[in-house]
Parts: sequence; C-alpha cells; structure tokens
Amino acid sequence: MNTLNRRDALRLLGLSTLGVTALAACAPDASGGTPQGDIAAKSFGFTSWSLNEEAQKAAVQAIVDGYAGSNGVKITAASFPYNEYLNQVTLKLRGGQLTGAIQLDVAWLGALAATGRLRDLATPAAKGGYTDVALSSGRTGGKQLGLPWTTGSIGLIANTGLLEKAGVDGMPATVAEFEAALRKVATLDGVIPYAAATKAAQLKDILPWMRTFGSPLLAEDQITVGDDPSVAAVEWYKKLYDAKLIAPDVDRFDARALFAQGKAAFYDDAIIARGVVEIQAPDKSLTAKMVPLSRPVLKAGDSPQALLWGHVIAVVEGEGADAAAEFAAHATSDTATVAAFFEKVKLPPTTTAGLADPKVSGDAFTTEWTEKITKTATANPFWRYAGYAQIETAIAEQVQAVLVGDSSAKEALAKATETAKDLQK
Amino acid sequence: MTVTLSASVPTARTRRRSPVNRSRVAAWVAVVVIGLFGLAPIYWLVVTALTPDDRAFSFPPSLIPTEITFEHFARLAENPQLFQYLANSVIVSVITAILSVIVSAYMAYAFSKFRYRGRRSLMHLVLASQLFPQALLLVTLYAVFSATGLLGSYTALILSFTTFTLPLCVWMLKGIFDTVPSTLMEAAAIDGASRWRTLHTIALPLAAPGLIAAGLFAFVRAWNDFVFALTLADPARQTLPPGLVHTYLGEFQTAWPDLMAASFVVSLPVIAAFMFLQRYLVGGLTAGAVKG
Repeated sequence: MNTLNRRDALRLLGLSTLGVTALAACAPDASGGTPQGDIAAKSFGFTSWSLNEEAQKAAVQAIVDGYAGSNGVKITAASFPYNEYLNQVTLKLRGGQLTGAIQLDVAWLGALAATGRLRDLATPAAKGGYTDVALSSGRTGGKQLGLPWTTGSIGLIANTGLLEKAGVDGMPATVAEFEAALRKVATLDGVIPYAAATKAAQLKDILPWMRTFGSPLLAEDQITVGDDPSVAAVEWYKKLYDAKLIAPDVDRFDARALFAQGKAAFYDDAIIARGVVEIQAPDKSLTAKMVPLSRPVLKAGDSPQALLWGHVIAVVEGEGADAAAEFAAHATSDTATVAAFFEKVKLPPTTTAGLADPKVSGDAFTTEWTEKITKTATANPFWRYAGYAQIETAIAEQVQAVLVGDSSAKEALAKATETAKDLQK
Repeated sequence: MTVTLSASVPTARTRRRSPVNRSRVAAWVAVVVIGLFGLAPIYWLVVTALTPDDRAFSFPPSLIPTEITFEHFARLAENPQLFQYLANSVIVSVITAILSVIVSAYMAYAFSKFRYRGRRSLMHLVLASQLFPQALLLVTLYAVFSATGLLGSYTALILSFTTFTLPLCVWMLKGIFDTVPSTLMEAAAIDGASRWRTLHTIALPLAAPGLIAAGLFAFVRAWNDFVFALTLADPARQTLPPGLVHTYLGEFQTAWPDLMAASFVVSLPVIAAFMFLQRYLVGGLTAGAVKG
C-alpha cells in the first residue's frame, strides 16, 4: 500500500501555497469595492437600488452626477436588487462595510434603526421644507433617521370605463357603497370586480381594511389584531371572496396585469401604477380611465385609510457622514432637482415647494392621488419592529386560512396574534 | 396435432410480442411526459422572450404566441452591463471548476491510495461540511473575507464556491480512484516511476471522465449561485444570477420578456458545454458508483 513520504507532503504543501498566493494576487486592496468614507469628507458612498433599475437609474444617476460635479465631491455608488436590499444593507452595515447615504424603503427604517448606526437628521429635516406626512415617513423611535425622498401611499385605483359600463355612478365612499359597486361590476363578463390581494405574500393589503373597520392594529405595544373590528374586516373580505367579488391567488403583479388587461375594476397599488399599467396595457387609453380613490370608510365622517409608502435617504454615522447628509438634503429638497426627478420617474416629491412646482402640480393624477390618498396615509405600526415582515406574514397566512375555509376569522387572527407577539423585538 | 401446433405458435408469438409492445408504449409515454415536464419551462421561457410587452401579461396566458417580436433580444445588445455579468460568471465558474478539480483530485487520490492515521476521520469530516446549510456560512465567510480584505473580489467568490464543491468532488473522485487497480501503481513503481509521475501519467488519465464530471459539477454550482455572488462580490464583479435579478426584477415591476430573453441567451454556452461533455458527465458520475 502507498504511503505519503515527507518529500511528497512538502511538494503538495508547496503547490497549495502557490495556489493560495495566486488567488490572493487577484484580490483587490482592503478597501474592496465598497465605500469606505473619506478622511477629507469629500468622498462618500451612495447605496441605492434605483441606481440599477431600468425605469429610474438614469434619473438617479443624473442627481448623483449633478451633485458631484457642482460640489467637487466623489460619490461611490453601490446597488443591490430591491428584494435583497434590506438583507444586504443590514449585513454590510453591521459589518462596517457601508458608509455614506443609503436609499431606504420607509418600511425598513425601523429595522435598520436597530443597528444604531444611522445619523439623526433632525437639523437638515427642519430646514428642508418637507410636508408633515413626508417627515413622518422618515421618523422612527422619536428620531428623524431618514430624509423623505418620495412620499406616496398604497391606495385604491379604479377603472372608470368598467364602472361606467357596469352602471356605477360616482366613486363609492363607504364600505357598503363599495360592495354594491362590486356587485354591479360582477355582472360584466370576465371581469374581477376587485383584484384584491389574496396570495399570502401580499395579503398584508388587508391591514388598511382592518383599520377601516376600526382596529388600530397596535395599541402601545399591544397587538390588537384579533379584536372585533379586525375580525369583522376579515369576515367581510371572506364574504367578498365567497361571492367572487375578489379572486383567489392574486398578488400585486397579478392585479396589475388584470387591471392593465381591462379585467379588474379596482385594485390596490402605489402611485407608480400609472407607469406600470401604461407599459402592460394593450389599450393605450386605459391610463386616462385610471382614477385614484379614497379607501371607502365604514361610516360617513371616518378618515379614509391608506398605507404610507415611500423612499427616504438615511446617512450612516462615520467618515463622510456630513457630506452624505448634505447630499441627502440636496437630493430630497432642492426644488429644481426634485421637480426634474418627478418629471422623469413620476415619483412625487416630499417638500411643499416641490409639490407646488408646475411640473408636479400640473400632473392631475399625482395631485389627485396626493389629495385623496396620501393626505391621510399612515405608516404600518409594525414597521417599528425588525421582524415586521414576519408579523405581516403571520397575519397574512391566517387570513388566507380564513379565505380558503380552514379557519374562522376569530380563531385565525387569535393564532396570528400569538405568533406575532413573539416577533415584537 | 400439427394443426394445433401450427395454430398455437403464432398465438404464442403474438402473446410474447404484446407485453413488449406495451412496455415500449409505456416507455415512450414516460419519455414524452418527462420530456414535456423538462422542456415546458424552456418552451415558456422562449415564448415569453418572443412576446411583445403588452401581450406578455395577457390573462389568461396564451400557450402559442399570436404575435412575435425580437426586440427583447435586440435590447440585450444595448446593455453592456449584461456582458460584464456574463464575463464575471465565466471567470468565476471556470476558475472554480479548475481549482475544484485540482484540489479534489489530489485529496481524493490521497484518500483512495494512501493509508495513514486519521484518514477515515478526515474523509468524514470533509463530508460533514456538507451537512451545514450554506446560508449559515455566509455571515462567517463575509466576516472572514472582510477581515482579510478579499471581500468584493473574484477570489472571495472562487474560494467560497470551491469550498462548497470540494466535498462532493472529493467523494466522487475517490470512488473513481478506488476503481483504478492498485496493481497498476505497483507496476509503475517497479518500472521506476515516482509517485508523482504515477499519479499524473497513470491515475489521472484513467480518472479523466470523473475529473470532467467533477469540473462540470463545480462549474454549474458556481454558475447558478445567487446569494454568495450577491453578498461577497462587489457590483462590478457580480455574476449573472444576481446581475439578471438586479437588472430586470425591480421594486415596482419585473421585465419578464427581457429577463427571459437574457436567460435564454446566457444559457446557451452552458447548454453547449453540457451537450459536448454529457457523455463524460454520465460516465464520470457512474464510474465510481459500482465496484467490480
């Protein structure tokens, strides 16, 4: 039998060392490709998923290049896909690999605030002229950790062409009127009256309906999902489901596709819906028939519910943070910059001056959306927890169990609350 | 009697042929069903890539396209970033495959042909590393590469992919080296060949199909990885899986036809490589499976 002698062992060791050395030679210096800040504070990183998304990258790059050129700073851009963004940013933030300014979804601010590495931007926020609702989207735990870049909401959109065809006069203002309108639309052939989310991945859309029925969702730190109003909301949803006024297995992408094909009269989406539907719709006149409407209320006088949605720019404490904060303030509050950004991507600005700019105020869809939906939009109360996504999933899965008839609304929501309690960290 | 016999012979033949025909039909049905199962996603990928944007989302979807466009393929050429992702994938996957084959061949040979203390424990230790979910190792590897300054580099990707492919490659090749008779090595030694020469001129050529199979396995592992490529490489060195996601899957919408066109085009080199090397792959995977 063969044995390994010392000479062979040394030869193998030598080869291994050679291999590792060759690989190390391919490596970059310790700074890698990630932003590391700058001693002179004239250089900082900007991490943004929009920098690589077809619809927005040119507009965002223009802001970056414009600011870098006119202020003599160097901005190192980095980007991750939206769906992986939170994980990547969290990992890199905890690993000390991320500095400078970072674009964030308003839903993620609470989770990233827990890292303790974001700067309080109260001073630039006070000077920026932001609207109250916009400022609230960047605030968490009593601190202004993000400057609002775009503030919108998730709200209801209607196809007025289909409503007219079904004989629905005017927009429904109450839940009862809404249900009556859905029943009228149901008489149209091949049309889903309300393409509401029914897939677990998107069933968090039911939360504004729970609020509509009177549940606060969270009171202090007490989850109120499972209270009478939230149970009533789920039972109402189930009633729509059984009456085929909403359809099974629908998420946001399906709902958009159905709406764009003229096969859904109502659905929930963000303000960017118009641009998406424009691309997907074979009927190019459909966007003219799209109308945002306030979510129907339970009884006249109630405040319409909508989920706040938007992007903020946060700044990581450390080298280059001052320069990054100045850039964040410029990108979000300079009127010429935000108006030009709106013109390219149709994402509404967050300052009073920006909203009043003719480029923005002249856009009827945006103005109507802001007035009818964003004005009363509120943040999801679970966003303050790092495990907010799991809390939403726990609720969504139980609501789905109700829809398919596996559980009663009361039992399901009680179970969801039990699961969610463990995730309140 | 004769009549009975002559009548019964064809009957017996018919009866004998009948089960053969039935099994052949069953085999064909199985082939068609499995073929459909395997090819349907590829068909759908191609159909979606050829469908205009405003038709791609028609509901209900149409299995046969009513309108065809090549604009999504044309748009690929306008995006140089995609070719950068492709180049990164080729660099990382090829080096991973070569490195995995080199390292695993020596390891496997040592496990197969040498006897030393702790050999079995080492073999099981190598295999044990496969028991950990790879995502679990991500954070640790991230910290290690960050501390060593390798984060964001090709090296980080190549080392991590090689680490994951080694256990299976080693065990695959060990099985193959086990089938190479030790008498061949002994004969070479009698003829004056050193161990080094015996390994390179006798053992490795005999294990060639296995080396190719191991290389392909490592190549595909590196080619398909998403999470490690996204996390350990900086944006300029990202490979195709995160690159395609980044380019086509957005916050608001997914450009499905463009994504399908890009997926189809970037799959072609891998499909070609597999078609060329498939006989080695099958041979290599099964060579060490049975000991004779």
